[in-house]
Amino acid sequence: MFGSRIKLDKNLLAKVKKYSEIAGYSSVEEFITHALEKELAKLEDAGSEEEIKKRLKGLGYIS
Amino acid sequence: MKTFTRVLALALLTALPWTACSEGPKAPAHKVIILGIDGLDPRLLQQYADEGVLPHFARLMADGDFSPLQTTAPPLSPVAWSTFITGMDPGGHGIFDFLRRDPKSLIPEFAMARTSAPEWKISLGSWAIPLESGSIEGLRQGRAFWELLEERGIPATVFRMPVNFPPVQAGRALSGMGTPDIQGTSGTFSFYTDVPPPNADNISGGKVHEVRVGANKVSAQLVGPANTFREIRSDGADADDFSNPPMTIDFQVYLDPEHPVAKLVLPDQELVLQEGEWSDWIRVEFEALPYLVGVSATARFYLQQVRPTFKLYVSPLQINPEEPVMPISHPGDWSQQLTQRLGYFYTQELAEDTKAFSAGIFNGQEFWKQSQIVYQEQRRALEAMLSEYREGLLFFYFSSVDQGCHMLWRYLDPHHPGYVEDAQLAGAIRKLYQQMDEAVGRVLEVADSETTVVIMSDHGFGPFKRGVNLNSWLADQGYARLHDPTLRDGYPLFGNVDWESTRAYAVGLNGLYVNLRGRERFGIVSPGQEYDQLLDQLESDLLALRDPVTDEAPIATVLRTRRDFEGRHLEEAPDLIIGYNWGYRSSWESPLGEFPRRVLVDNLDAWSGDHSIDPRLVPGVLLSNRRITLDSPALYDLTVAILDEYGIEKLPEMLGSDCLQ
Repeated sequence: MFGSRIKLDKNLLAKVKKYSEIAGYSSVEEFITHALEKELAKLEDAGSEEEIKKRLKGLGYIS
Repeated sequence: MKTFTRVLALALLTALPWTACSEGPKAPAHKVIILGIDGLDPRLLQQYADEGVLPHFARLMADGDFSPLQTTAPPLSPVAWSTFITGMDPGGHGIFDFLRRDPKSLIPEFAMARTSAPEWKISLGSWAIPLESGSIEGLRQGRAFWELLEERGIPATVFRMPVNFPPVQAGRALSGMGTPDIQGTSGTFSFYTDVPPPNADNISGGKVHEVRVGANKVSAQLVGPANTFREIRSDGADADDFSNPPMTIDFQVYLDPEHPVAKLVLPDQELVLQEGEWSDWIRVEFEALPYLVGVSATARFYLQQVRPTFKLYVSPLQINPEEPVMPISHPGDWSQQLTQRLGYFYTQELAEDTKAFSAGIFNGQEFWKQSQIVYQEQRRALEAMLSEYREGLLFFYFSSVDQGCHMLWRYLDPHHPGYVEDAQLAGAIRKLYQQMDEAVGRVLEVADSETTVVIMSDHGFGPFKRGVNLNSWLADQGYARLHDPTLRDGYPLFGNVDWESTRAYAVGLNGLYVNLRGRERFGIVSPGQEYDQLLDQLESDLLALRDPVTDEAPIATVLRTRRDFEGRHLEEAPDLIIGYNWGYRSSWESPLGEFPRRVLVDNLDAWSGDHSIDPRLVPGVLLSNRRITLDSPALYDLTVAILDEYGIEKLPEMLGSDCLQ
């Protein structure tokens, strides 16, 4: 599934395998892809600006 | 009878540890009562005392002692109260403003606490079942002084101390400033109307819901927090882009065809309100997972008008203290016990609805009425705390003077650009001081000769007449660069900033940051000589700024955190702290990364008083029935003094000296 190989620590890989099964992912690859996508979305998420503004704007000091 | 038995059992259970753990009779711990009155100003206090309207304060000044109390830089409540709590300056406790920024995302965020949603969940259709719970992390560093008391067996009750959310695991504590509403915001009210106001889409801290009045009936929804158990595909978004829909509760309002009266029908409850009437607290239950998981909240309804325009205000939805979905007390069940004693109460950080007033949803009289509801709740709570107080430390916090001075200052000052003539509201701040005087009188009545009484505030107050768009000034001076310089308004969160050509930017009320290589995501200024030279230039240019309208200098002082502060948490500090001059403050737009066209603007908002200026101009207050032994005591001296009341040595990282005899 991956275009290039990624090296994972043995213990981490064991954990990934265990939790991907618990969480119902069909494969380790699917689980890792989902996790990476989530992290990337957090860094790149321009769409959440409205949410950030909404949360911060309740503060009396800013409009 | 059943309720009585349960209350009795609870009382016995509460009493048990004290009796079971004691080895024979033990002398009660020394008594110290602290009233923390946010924003109490030494000049106004002296003025009103001289007018003879504050007899209890005057008695304490005469028989005890009174001094201005040095506040922090910047003189903002989260910063100042954190200093009082820990005895450290911001470099030690790590709180420098209401807001901070993540240097990697360059997005402003709350400085006091961080919440995170559960990362891992299983999807079942549109339901997403979390495999772990989310987390809430207080960001204030250092030990709270009452933790040191509790370690030595001295009981401490700490009521609504700011920057104590989630509360530290010591004593009995209810969290205060920093505690969100049920939506996770500082407070978001709802306003239901059939004729939305012109600013409906642009209201800060509130949401306008347009409703239809048909056959004397209105159908509407209370909108709760996002349901993290549900995921729906976002409209028009990528195939994998999901969002969490909010939880909602349907309700109806039936309007009396003849009289200005309405009946509100909520699930399992009905209430009748006259026009201009407030409801008591109403408990509502949002359903997250049917029959399994719910979120409990409380709200108050205010029927502002029935006709010709329907107007219904609903308070921000509060964390229900009886079944809190977030940790608002320590021990966890203390908020339940308080609810049994006091009834429901506001749990959000600063409950006076300043946003509804600023947005024009409330007029001045309505704000006064709502803020008095908050005050009366706090006053009843003080009475309850005093009536059960036997030993140790009691700290109690009042917010009404601070919030009132923010919103009612312009009624005092005919020279304020937002001045409004109103004979009743012109006396409102004096009235708030008189209410505090009554509370002080009650504390003095309860205190015996052995009790140390301290009345203190975190900062004073001044007018907010002119706003400084600091980011706009940085752009005009070439310190910041915009992708499109013609687009100045409506791009918050630095949306139009060319980071690769920007050397400095402002976040929060007083913070200015260098776009530093290796620290900021797109940093361009090299550490060392280039950084130091930039700070020199910025300081010089900031102090040279002049207001063409008043010919005054809007900025009185500039502090360098890494030179002027101490402590282990300077890495997240702004590089400069800006101390505005009397009458000035940061603008409304600059703190969240906007760049409006004009650098200096009149402040016409109802929020007309402030204190986020040069700390030397807005000291707080220290009053005590003990002599004050320092000429110019500071907040961190008071921390050491409280510890010394119990013979506890200050911690090595604490900066102060004992200031009470």
